[in-house]
Amino acid sequence: MEITEMLWTFIKVFIIVNIVMLHVAYAVYFERKVIGHMQVRLGPMHVGPHGLLQPIADGIKLFFKEDIIPSDADRPIFYIAPVIGVVAALGSIAVIPFWEGFSIADINIGILYILALSSIGTYNVILAGWASNSKYSFLGGLRASAQVISYEIAMGLSLVGVIMLAGSANLSDIVKAQTEGPFIFSQIIGFFVFLMAAIAETNRAPFDLPEAETELVAGYFTEYSGIRWGLFFMGEYTGMFVMSALASICFLGGWHGPDFWIFSHVPGVVWFILKIYAFIFFYFWIRATLPRYRYDQLMGLGWKLFIPLALVNIFITGLMKLL
Amino acid sequence: MTTKEFLKKVLFIEIIKGLSVTLKHLFSPAVTRQYPYKVKIEPPLGTRALHALAKYETGKMKCVGCGLCSAMCPSKCIYIYTAEGEGHQKVVERYEIDILRCVFCALCVEACPFGAIVLTPHFEYAGYNRDEFYYTKERLLENWNRHMGSERGSEYFEKFWIPKSGDFGRRG
Repeated sequence: MEITEMLWTFIKVFIIVNIVMLHVAYAVYFERKVIGHMQVRLGPMHVGPHGLLQPIADGIKLFFKEDIIPSDADRPIFYIAPVIGVVAALGSIAVIPFWEGFSIADINIGILYILALSSIGTYNVILAGWASNSKYSFLGGLRASAQVISYEIAMGLSLVGVIMLAGSANLSDIVKAQTEGPFIFSQIIGFFVFLMAAIAETNRAPFDLPEAETELVAGYFTEYSGIRWGLFFMGEYTGMFVMSALASICFLGGWHGPDFWIFSHVPGVVWFILKIYAFIFFYFWIRATLPRYRYDQLMGLGWKLFIPLALVNIFITGLMKLL
Repeated sequence: MTTKEFLKKVLFIEIIKGLSVTLKHLFSPAVTRQYPYKVKIEPPLGTRALHALAKYETGKMKCVGCGLCSAMCPSKCIYIYTAEGEGHQKVVERYEIDILRCVFCALCVEACPFGAIVLTPHFEYAGYNRDEFYYTKERLLENWNRHMGSERGSEYFEKFWIPKSGDFGRRG
């Protein structure tokens, strides 16, 4: 590759990673505020005006915390487990098209790449649980990895319908195929399955038994302190953003917006970001409302409900394409 | 399962009802009272918090050092040391209360025949080390000036603890 192209890619990566990290930090803040207001209380109010500097205070606190490593922990694996999660989540951002013609890497197997990275991300959980050498972490890690693996199948299958309708797995092509109308109307079952699978993939409520405080202390990241724990959290929230981005690309039309009146002058990236925010708000909303699923109910749902539904969706989409 | 139940399950009617409740609460004002920035709590007179040594109108301390409060205290947190002053009078040299031991029962107030010790409603006296919680005579007298004032002091004695000396300690 030419040197200027490399430089340009480097700059793109730098800017996008910074923006995403800032979003992740403030997603934590907004989650606390939104869930607080939903529970008729204020969220953080003290640090900075209306608590806006809270993520910075949290970050500084995490940096200065003592780094505790259990004595019998498997050190190399202990160190590397959170990094794998963050790398998998951040790597998925490379293929996301923010607006027409802009993505860090425009590859023809975009969806496959994201699914593959989330499969690598399951190592994050298993290795963390195993390397911590403690009961709670181990159980949490096993549960989480089983959950993530089963819901990956449902997620992949629900995206097959989208690929069939768009004719390619390239994310930019999928967005371009939605100029007439977003796929959510024809793929409502697929959308529902994808949404549930996305919530289960990122270990969020109501599928968050692996990190349920009441059951397993903190599940697979019990033994992590300071900035290592921060890395886990960053990986989880980045995963949330990636899933929201994927949902808005595949089902809501990416950077398309309403094309009448003054709305046609708004750049595509604004619509894209608004859709991502809407999904993130939905994540917070669901977390504030629903109780947690028990683990066997969770696994039962994944295998007995979502996978058959996704298969039915593929079948119906195939029929529709034939007719 | 009837069709109605089936439809309810498929269309998530109950989950949507739950979501709408949460959304409604999102837009209603929060009930948090932001103490101490926006809300001040003023407990009524008679609330048992920080101690104060009472003074007469002239400014003389009512306490004569009889030691009844110290004898009554269940936590033994009042320490009184008296000495001989001019004219062979009994003078209270040191009067100290260890607030950290105190259980705020106000038995000392009940025991005092002169109404010399009172419990003010002031409770925001947090400190950074133990010395700030060991109140000496001067600090206790200062507490009287600061928290019980003049009308509050007499109001306290009229409403709450009537000392055994019949003139409500208004001598001096």
